[in-house]
Amino acid sequence: MSSNTRTNRENDSAVAAADEIGGGHEPNSPQGRLKQVLMRQDVILLGVLIAMVAFFTSMNPLFLSTNSLANVLQDWAPVMLLAIGQTYVIITAGIDLSVGSTLGLAGVSGALIIRQLHESAVDPTVAIMLGLLTALVVGATVGLINGLLITRVKLAPFIATLATMGAGAGAILVLTKGVQIAGGPREVVTLGTTRVLGVLTIPLLIVIVILVIAWLVLEQTRFGRWNYAIGSNSFAARAAGINVDLHLIKVYMLSGLMAGFAGMFLYLRLGSGSPTSGSGYELTAIAAVVIGGTSLFGGSGKMSGTVLGAFITTSVLSGLILIGVGPYWQQVVVGVLIAIAVGMQQVGAGKLKRGATSA
Amino acid sequence: MPESIVYEAKDICKSYGSVTALEGASLSLRAGEIVGLVGDNGAGKSTLVKVLSGALRPDSGTLTMDGEQREWQSPRGALDAGVETLYQDSGLCPDLTVSGNVFLGREILRPGLLGKLGVLDKPALEREAREALDRAGIGFAGVRRTVNQFSGGQRQAVAIGRAVAWARKVVILDEPTNHLGARQANEVLRVMRKAKEQGLGVIFISHTLPHVLEVTDRVVVLRLGKVVADEPTANFTPDTLLKVITGLSQGATA
Repeated sequence: MSSNTRTNRENDSAVAAADEIGGGHEPNSPQGRLKQVLMRQDVILLGVLIAMVAFFTSMNPLFLSTNSLANVLQDWAPVMLLAIGQTYVIITAGIDLSVGSTLGLAGVSGALIIRQLHESAVDPTVAIMLGLLTALVVGATVGLINGLLITRVKLAPFIATLATMGAGAGAILVLTKGVQIAGGPREVVTLGTTRVLGVLTIPLLIVIVILVIAWLVLEQTRFGRWNYAIGSNSFAARAAGINVDLHLIKVYMLSGLMAGFAGMFLYLRLGSGSPTSGSGYELTAIAAVVIGGTSLFGGSGKMSGTVLGAFITTSVLSGLILIGVGPYWQQVVVGVLIAIAVGMQQVGAGKLKRGATSA
Repeated sequence: MPESIVYEAKDICKSYGSVTALEGASLSLRAGEIVGLVGDNGAGKSTLVKVLSGALRPDSGTLTMDGEQREWQSPRGALDAGVETLYQDSGLCPDLTVSGNVFLGREILRPGLLGKLGVLDKPALEREAREALDRAGIGFAGVRRTVNQFSGGQRQAVAIGRAVAWARKVVILDEPTNHLGARQANEVLRVMRKAKEQGLGVIFISHTLPHVLEVTDRVVVLRLGKVVADEPTANFTPDTLLKVITGLSQGATA
């Protein structure tokens, strides 16, 4: 029966029926539905996360303690911020390797401004706000440079952001001469470490608000829709009248802005701006996005997956330390998880293709 | 002459570096008319299509719509003026749903503040996508499913449905019957006839000469960037048309 393949005016009703059953290469039985739900990437990820938590807790009950949870959240937040931007970027079929060094550059820039203002006896709150603003401007500027290199100079995202990654790391050393930027007001540490709501600090609450907004924008708005469209087929997006270059510039600026936030988050947590604070973060963020099911080929991915991916990559670290394995195994475990996640995507994509041709 | 000329390109020239793609090509289209655009590979068909759809700006020559001279800065300009184009093999975003594709670049937003923030009205998008495809004569199933879940023929139906549904004056179809089975190709031809009945001007680019001869009112033949024939379809047989395309003869009556 091919009435849902090809439609005639005579069999409109048959088509409407086919619409109801959804075209028919998925079994519509309750078992079929259950299988569909269980095969969803975010459901699988949630299962993986729960299994991990159960494993670590069985090895060391402290894993589920408030302090441990607070630690995981503090590790999670900067990765999550970078991964938010990275999710948008990777869905457009791009990549942003510069976020780690941008995080560091924004963090030390903010720290320098705050120290300067503090030494000039400016009110601590004002100093911190201006430091935050500086970090965000630095982050957005690096993002703008990335966007322009990609859309105007036509560099591949990998190359463009590799260049800004290196330049950013160099700029950090120029600014700091390789030393920590401390000497801010005491309020910095107070703000970064005081728990206001259970295990949550004010910076953590802000991260959660940013996450919710970024999630809604991706799923519910035209901006989000265009993001998927560009990654899925940028030629079609352009032909449909979408200003693809402008959108890409905005997306890389968003990624830089998130790196700016992450830089300030780490600064507030540690109380000083470290020249090396961002190194390696880009890979953890990309890992979170890829483990979360976003395809590196663009066009598909979900913020829910990225959130779980970020939790998985960061709780592995706490867990391994708590069970006495040590932090060095984190990279190994994350590497294995990436391989599994991408492998599963390949299998899934193959299935989809077979399904389409047999329809 | 049943209808006035709705869209016209005159003396279009376009070169890429030292390569001349179009050398003074002209084409006119009436409302309710299907014009076939044929020619060998490299004859300049794709370039002419891109000029007509606003994707390329010509080096010289004029575009006229309803007697008024127009210039497209981008595809958006042509779309806004009512010219829809379906490019060969690349009209859709496979990861978006059918309704997402039908409304790509024309998303319906929620009323009020949410709309100002760019929030999509998803139920309206789905409802209207279904209606738009119905209007185009494609009562298509499953507007909520992503396009990559459909077969090639189904995808093509969505792509053509979108173009016809949105076109207010002109629809340009570049090789819409490529890679389709006989039955699916006939369906495409039927949708083209329906568009014609609705008063649209249709430009049909194809290598499949039987399809061109079956559905068009007039055939324009490009060779090496120039129009070498522009005559009513009835003047051609498959054989004479092929001879004009390959340069063995100068026109149907020559």
